[in-house]
Amino acid sequence: MVMLYGLLWRLLLLLVHVNRALVSWLRVRLQSWKSRLWERAMASLLLPLALAGFPEQQKKLNRTPGADDNPSHANGGPSPRLRYISDGMSLQKLPVHIGFLVTEEEPSYTDIANLVVWCMAVGISYISVYDNHDIFQKNHSRLLKEIERQQRHLMGGDGHPYNVEFLSNGSDKCHNGKKKSKVTIFKFTIPDPELVVKFGPVDSTLGFLPWHIRLTEFIFVPSHRDVSYKDLLGALKLYSSCQQRVGQ
Amino acid sequence: MSWIKEGELNIIERISANVLKAGPMPKHVAFIMDGNRRFAHINNMERQDGHTQGFNKLAETLRWCKHLNIPEVTVYAFSIENFKRTQEEVDGLMDLARQKFERLLEERENLEKHGVCIRVLGDLNLLPLDLQQAIAKAVLATKNHNNDVSETLITECLYSNKSPNPDLLIRTSGEVRLSDFLLWQTSHSCLVFQSVLWPEYSFWNLCEAILQYQLNHKSIQKARELHREHQASLQLEADRLCTAEELQHHGNGKPTDAHTRQEALLHYITCREERVQNFLTALKHKRDLFFHDLCIEATTA
Repeated sequence: MVMLYGLLWRLLLLLVHVNRALVSWLRVRLQSWKSRLWERAMASLLLPLALAGFPEQQKKLNRTPGADDNPSHANGGPSPRLRYISDGMSLQKLPVHIGFLVTEEEPSYTDIANLVVWCMAVGISYISVYDNHDIFQKNHSRLLKEIERQQRHLMGGDGHPYNVEFLSNGSDKCHNGKKKSKVTIFKFTIPDPELVVKFGPVDSTLGFLPWHIRLTEFIFVPSHRDVSYKDLLGALKLYSSCQQRVGQ
Repeated sequence: MSWIKEGELNIIERISANVLKAGPMPKHVAFIMDGNRRFAHINNMERQDGHTQGFNKLAETLRWCKHLNIPEVTVYAFSIENFKRTQEEVDGLMDLARQKFERLLEERENLEKHGVCIRVLGDLNLLPLDLQQAIAKAVLATKNHNNDVSETLITECLYSNKSPNPDLLIRTSGEVRLSDFLLWQTSHSCLVFQSVLWPEYSFWNLCEAILQYQLNHKSIQKARELHREHQASLQLEADRLCTAEELQHHGNGKPTDAHTRQEALLHYITCREERVQNFLTALKHKRDLFFHDLCIEATTA
């Protein structure tokens, strides 16, 4: 009997994985303009079936891969800088401090650099980037170079540098003192992140700034690879529409 | 309404529960029971009724957890921030709590039968005195009900060194925040945000959350291990540093050999662990004394 339940459980997990793969395949298909009409028709018929499965996660963004919606590539019109600034100002509220939590293995420097540059352009003052293996911490000079490169590529002109802070497991906790009687506590002067965008399939904060996320909104994006400006803007729009009652 | 909802699962629920139990199960689940007021508003009820329904749902959820062999449950019932609500609502919540804790004492035998042990965390001094006394009685009455299949109910949130960190944190009503609940303890928990309002929570919602826990289990385990190793190495580094400094201080300028350093390190680690243990024992004693004193006050009043 126990074996039967074991088998059923494995079957259930398999079904969920298949369902998830199907749903993400369909999402890509539906939104890709290059898709042929009949493919789209088939996909739209199958999508309700796939979506009838679960789990349903709140505030999960639909990815728009390949969509060429980067303001800097627009022909004519206002300069890219102005476009970013106006996008930022059009939102009801913008986080002062945003966090990117990458739960996928092998993060991509270019994509993270893009996100950082877009955030700076839109008017976000502090950007935290976190991954579970300290990859960004250990290679922060590489990330910094990538950010500079992407800044030139996306903005064209000069950009004034913003405060990019590298966090890793344990950097925010107090280090138990050198002597028994002394404890060193690091005081952070930057505000807590109001918004954290989590990339990847793992449903956990994986130790990201535990003391600073008491009121942080979480928004989930399936992957940070090939993330577009539109994805980021979508997340910011979602954030700006959420209401916090703070206990009241 | 009772704390313990009797009744078995129906056949479909039982089969689903058995299928889920074939996989890794969370040993400690935490709930942020959000959505009572929205539920009341949608159903044209008074807010207070929404909270009462929320409590009923809690009793039902505890029954499901028992059937799923989840030994420990933590719930976020009231926070310091909630004192900002209208006096009417706060009073209503305090009354509900008073009622329920008094009921708890009445059901003491039933609780013992089901092995329910209750712990309450948080700064109880902010609550009305009679409620504090009722809580103290409940905690002391159920203190020794711990057995292998026991449920633990915690009604405020703060650090507890007796219970392990939650494996799974569920927040209902669609909000995607932690709202200051067990921030430290949930840093490596599986977080599940569900849009259903708390009073409408169903057995299937719970199964869905557990399934998500099972899907994330391996990657979270890996992350926890990594974190533990990292912490251990940081601690060892700190210990080494302290030992080196001590040796320098107490030494007489002569260089120390590896053997002496190793011995000193082990000695330092033993002392540190003893200090930590003493501190934790003192803290536990202080907490126990707090509840005892409240009970004595209540009986002499």
